[in-house]
Amino acid sequence: MSEIIVALEKVSYKYPRSLDFVLKNIDLTIQKGEFFGVIGPTGAGKTTLCLTMNAVVPQFYGGRFFGHVFVAGLDTLDYPISLLANRVGAVFDDPETQLIATSVENEIAFALENLLVPREEILKRIPHALAAVRLEGTEKKHPAELSGGQKQRLAIAAALAVQPDLLVLDEPTSQLDPVGSQEVFATVRELNKELGMTIIMSSHAAEEMAEYCDRVALLSNGELAAVGKPEEIYSQIERLLANDLRPPQVASTFYLIQQTGIPTGAIPVRMEEGSRYLKEVEEVCTIYPPKDIRQARVHTSEPVLSIKDLKHVYPDGTEALHGVSMDIREGEYVLIIGQNGAGKSTLVKHFLNLLKPTSGSVKVGGVETANLTVSQLARRIGYVAQNPDNQIFNATVGEEVAFALKALKYPPEEVESRTLEGLAAMGLSNVREIHPLALPKGDRARVVIAAILAMKPEMIIFDEPTTGQDYRGAKYILEISRQLHEMGKTIVVITHHLYLMPDYAERVLVMGKGTLLMDAPIREAYHAVELLQSTYLMPPQAVLLAQELGNLTNQSLPKLLTPEELASCFHYSHNGRTP
Amino acid sequence: MGTPSGEEREVKFLGGASIDGAPVAYIVVLAAVVTALSFIPFSIVMATGGSFPMAQGVYQLVGWVLGPIAGAVASGIGALLGVFIAPQTAGVAPVTVYGAALAAFAAGTMVHGSVRSKWWIIPGVIGVGSILFFFGRALLVNGVSLKAVILGGGGQWFGVLLFVLPTRTIFSRWIASKNIGTVAAGLFLGTWASHAIAHVAQSSITYYMYNWPEEVWMLLAGIVPVEYVARCLIGAVIGTGVIAGLRAIGLVKPTYAIY
Repeated sequence: MSEIIVALEKVSYKYPRSLDFVLKNIDLTIQKGEFFGVIGPTGAGKTTLCLTMNAVVPQFYGGRFFGHVFVAGLDTLDYPISLLANRVGAVFDDPETQLIATSVENEIAFALENLLVPREEILKRIPHALAAVRLEGTEKKHPAELSGGQKQRLAIAAALAVQPDLLVLDEPTSQLDPVGSQEVFATVRELNKELGMTIIMSSHAAEEMAEYCDRVALLSNGELAAVGKPEEIYSQIERLLANDLRPPQVASTFYLIQQTGIPTGAIPVRMEEGSRYLKEVEEVCTIYPPKDIRQARVHTSEPVLSIKDLKHVYPDGTEALHGVSMDIREGEYVLIIGQNGAGKSTLVKHFLNLLKPTSGSVKVGGVETANLTVSQLARRIGYVAQNPDNQIFNATVGEEVAFALKALKYPPEEVESRTLEGLAAMGLSNVREIHPLALPKGDRARVVIAAILAMKPEMIIFDEPTTGQDYRGAKYILEISRQLHEMGKTIVVITHHLYLMPDYAERVLVMGKGTLLMDAPIREAYHAVELLQSTYLMPPQAVLLAQELGNLTNQSLPKLLTPEELASCFHYSHNGRTP
Repeated sequence: MGTPSGEEREVKFLGGASIDGAPVAYIVVLAAVVTALSFIPFSIVMATGGSFPMAQGVYQLVGWVLGPIAGAVASGIGALLGVFIAPQTAGVAPVTVYGAALAAFAAGTMVHGSVRSKWWIIPGVIGVGSILFFFGRALLVNGVSLKAVILGGGGQWFGVLLFVLPTRTIFSRWIASKNIGTVAAGLFLGTWASHAIAHVAQSSITYYMYNWPEEVWMLLAGIVPVEYVARCLIGAVIGTGVIAGLRAIGLVKPTYAIY
């Protein structure tokens, strides 16, 4: 690894309408064959940095550009994007927006046709590209028939078919479920190890980035704050937290252990090292569990939602739910998890009467949803979709919040008072006259929630609220859910990001293949590792470490969930284990 | 950060994937919008038969978003595709395509204070020349009464007047305004003015072909203003949303866009 494939020299860039520079004096070199990670909070400049590689920044966006970017020896400002497309393959976060053809093979052929590659050559490259991402046999399929992970792998195959020197992936797993995410990471790693392809990937998936990257660059407010090996970057916990980045849980755990004065040596950033360090630290410590572990509240109130033997068969014959039964009680905070296709969305659509049961019953407040209109249900259950932008269509924040109230013919005084309440609850009173799309994404989610709060529903459902958000954005939305829970609302959250939820959820429903696999308090559910893995969910590293610690000490430790709880089990003993 | 330490570079779009400063991707998207709206009829066509496509409300918008040349290309291509896949609104096909391209071109020339501030003369001459030919033929060759021509062609001559007078630049200033209500007003009246240029250019050809009688002129007196209002409402409603959206998401602005 000695040849330089990418060199940035004193690169600064400002978009045409931005007030400040988005990239600031970046100096960076990337070697051929490296797997190079780019991390940083939203707005740090990761996407802009990725887009400089193929000259989309600045050639497409315009703006002011300083310095030089060389890719495979070419100064990107001196060559057209079409020529650089031969050298740099690019894959972005949402596979849906990258696929345009009506078959898998046409998708791969599209870029090649545009680059005037001869037909015979295109026919040769298609099977090679598909084999590289393990999508053989799907040539004739419509891309819409593929799963999320397969779609993203197809986008990678289309980029690979051009035979680029460099593959740039900008948060390629942020929209995917755990299975899709694992597929993409495994594919990219294989391309890097087997074919020697240079990879530049930005991602918030701390555990995977620590595992796979050769080096990582930390961007902060457009500046290159640090570059180093994953163990150098991800062990700087305070620095990561100061930049609103989430360290791998294994690193957080050992950092917290270290903070109690226990010598741990270096801070491990990968699970394998973490297991080894755990054994070493355990030998010089006394292990006993913390006394103040938060236990989930048991709710005995009347169910606000009651489901009995719910079955749903889609018109094409797909059996999406097979006899699901459960109650959700007033004031509960419920987490629904499961891989894509497990039936989570189908289940939630029944809550909202957007789907009718094939058999069984769904009752809200004791009334069959079949006897309630969608507007009646909207007054009782609020729904925050994955992408808040899909729910925003008014010209001002105030109009957005008032929209449903007006549609439901509330008196003008009540519309005004509820709108004011909703805006105030979400801290939006001072942006009432602003266009919602002019607000940052986290604030746009608050607009949607304010509109729901104005309806004063008993229950609020958050559907994948953390997908596509960085750590700060995800925590921000979850803190809102906590605030609403404290206001007495019943909260239901669907997410794949299990590591984010121990501070919030009380009860977990694990869905798999259309059935309810488990309905348990969060500690029970998170420690049912085999069951979670059977539905392709990965328990947080803290849970896995806690189980390893239990095995090492032969103790029946309580079901620990977080690095904080795990670290508080360690009590330094200079002479080793003591009673 | 203080000042950037690197050398400032000249930023230019290399590779030619644009027409007159508008990325080809934009042209494709707006052409597709025109084609899609060609499916929807919004009024019947007196004299020549068939129906008007709703796309007539957005030809002008395409000109304001892309500029005169790219706008004419997008509008013309969109209308050409529409002629084949939505024949119910095609009318006299070449005239429909000509009108779509001319409407976008005329709209794109409604600029103030730029190097292209005189370009409006081209559609202005076409509009005035067409109206003279159209009305002249009715009055002098076919013997239609002046009253019928003035009333039946009212929407058209009023629009051409709005286009050739300085009102043209007032509307373009309104479209560039930050106030969305002013933008809507600019789109409404701007649609009237620039569509009138295309409409008289088309009508001068179809009138030469069909020579409709005075009775039809009198019927048009009641219908044409209503059609113009509908067309302008379509332009204002769709245009306000498109312009507000484009401003909000901050996509690169074509060189000769006026929003």
